[in-house]
Amino acid sequence: MNEYLLLIRENLETYGKMTPQEMQEDIERHVKWVEQLVANGNFKTGNPLMPMGTSIKGDLVTDGPFIETKEGVSGYYFLLANSLEEATAIGKGCPSLAAGGTIEIREVIQTGN
Amino acid sequence: MQKQDQIHQLTAHLFREDSGKMVAFLSARYGINQLDSVMDIVQDTFEAALSKWRFSGIPDNPSAWLMQVAKNKAINALKHDATTTGISSELYLAHAENELPVDFSLSEQEITDSQLRLLLLCCHPEFSSKNQIIITLHILCGFGVPEIANALLMKDEAVKKALLRCKSFLRKSGDLMTNEYLFQANQQTQTVQTIIYLIFNEGYKTTRSMEAINHDLCYEAIRLAKLLTNSRSAGQHQTEALLALMFFNLSRFTARINTSGEWLTLEEQDRSKWNKVFIEEGYYYLNLATQSDQLSRFHLEAIIASIHCAASSFEETNWQQIVALYRQLEQLTPKSPFITLNKIIAESYVSTAIESLQSLDKIAGDSQLKNNFLVPATRGDIYQREHAFQEAITAYTQAMKLAVSAKDKVLLQKKITQCQLKSRKT
Repeated sequence: MNEYLLLIRENLETYGKMTPQEMQEDIERHVKWVEQLVANGNFKTGNPLMPMGTSIKGDLVTDGPFIETKEGVSGYYFLLANSLEEATAIGKGCPSLAAGGTIEIREVIQTGN
Repeated sequence: MQKQDQIHQLTAHLFREDSGKMVAFLSARYGINQLDSVMDIVQDTFEAALSKWRFSGIPDNPSAWLMQVAKNKAINALKHDATTTGISSELYLAHAENELPVDFSLSEQEITDSQLRLLLLCCHPEFSSKNQIIITLHILCGFGVPEIANALLMKDEAVKKALLRCKSFLRKSGDLMTNEYLFQANQQTQTVQTIIYLIFNEGYKTTRSMEAINHDLCYEAIRLAKLLTNSRSAGQHQTEALLALMFFNLSRFTARINTSGEWLTLEEQDRSKWNKVFIEEGYYYLNLATQSDQLSRFHLEAIIASIHCAASSFEETNWQQIVALYRQLEQLTPKSPFITLNKIIAESYVSTAIESLQSLDKIAGDSQLKNNFLVPATRGDIYQREHAFQEAITAYTQAMKLAVSAKDKVLLQKKITQCQLKSRKT
């Protein structure tokens, strides 16, 4: 099995507009999705990211993510799959998509031998 | 990370419940004048849960997790206020002095009391009953603006405006949260009961389709009423009667509507579909309620509802008893034409059609009833039972003109068609 990185990008402002009930339902959908990944042996790890961070370019350090794009990386998963196609099929089930998010999937190149 | 053998689930409306609990507790602790900050903190807390739980799964005790995060955020917000503006420094100092590890070990009773005080505040006589419903749903039930708008058939903007006005009033009534307001306000228990019943009816009448939001309103009304039974206040037995009434009605929630979403009358309903658990809950609270020697309107209405639930078929309904109870109810709440109308409907099963029609004529001109479809619809039903199909069609047609909701119109149209078919046969 290969390892794939799933980067989740979301409009971070939508969080603030969700009602408690909507947030609860969103969590339940995600938990169910992850449970399924675990059960199928596709799950390796995953974590959320703080919305704010820093961005370094040369000597310049700025606050990130970039203010002009409201969309930011909200979290990542490492999944196990046999091919990019399979990883993509799995990624399509991620509940963040239904909420307007986007997902980038990249295969991890194993450098250790 | 997620362990497969340890998967937790959230109860149906945990976030809504916890939203109310956290707002109540934090505004009791920091003052109702901090209401806006408190609501922001609660929203931030849910957002923190959203980012974390999506990945980590749901913690062992989600409510405790939420409350802890909310408290930390509140302390941070106070510190921030104290350092940047100095405005709340007094509040912060007062807080910091008391800030011991045990400070926040709150008892269930403390949380319950803070919710009750907030509930009483939300039902403040200064607010119209509509605004009382709106602010209660928002603050104590965690309903967002679009959910309230959807539940009460209002525009988002109108809900926002009402909330702004109510919240600005509440912020100024800070002392009411900290003094012995809870125990002075026994006369207000009645207002709270009425508001709870209105919330229930908003959900129960299902003016639109069978949307989940209707069920949610009934659920919240029952939760608030249960909260009120913990208040040790006067009117305890009335609250129990209200709970009994709501459970009896709720037992028919699903059975009232057929698969194509049309109303079914009490007569047409499949009684095996009535929810037996809710009926039992109804009897449980009715038994508690009737330990009082005083009968409130909720008592009488609950007993009427229990008679319907006890009848194994429509024909076996004890109409005599129901009529007697409606007569009592009429005396208790004079000038409520809807009660009189219900009494006349019950009477129509034990008296003659002429008597019933005469009684209907007497109340038809009432200002609350004259533009309501129920009087002509009842007239139509009485004619139809007498096989006077032409008269029935005339009455139902008149009712059609007055009916507002699509569901009611569909039911009336169905009745008209039934009469047309029958009249052709005869």
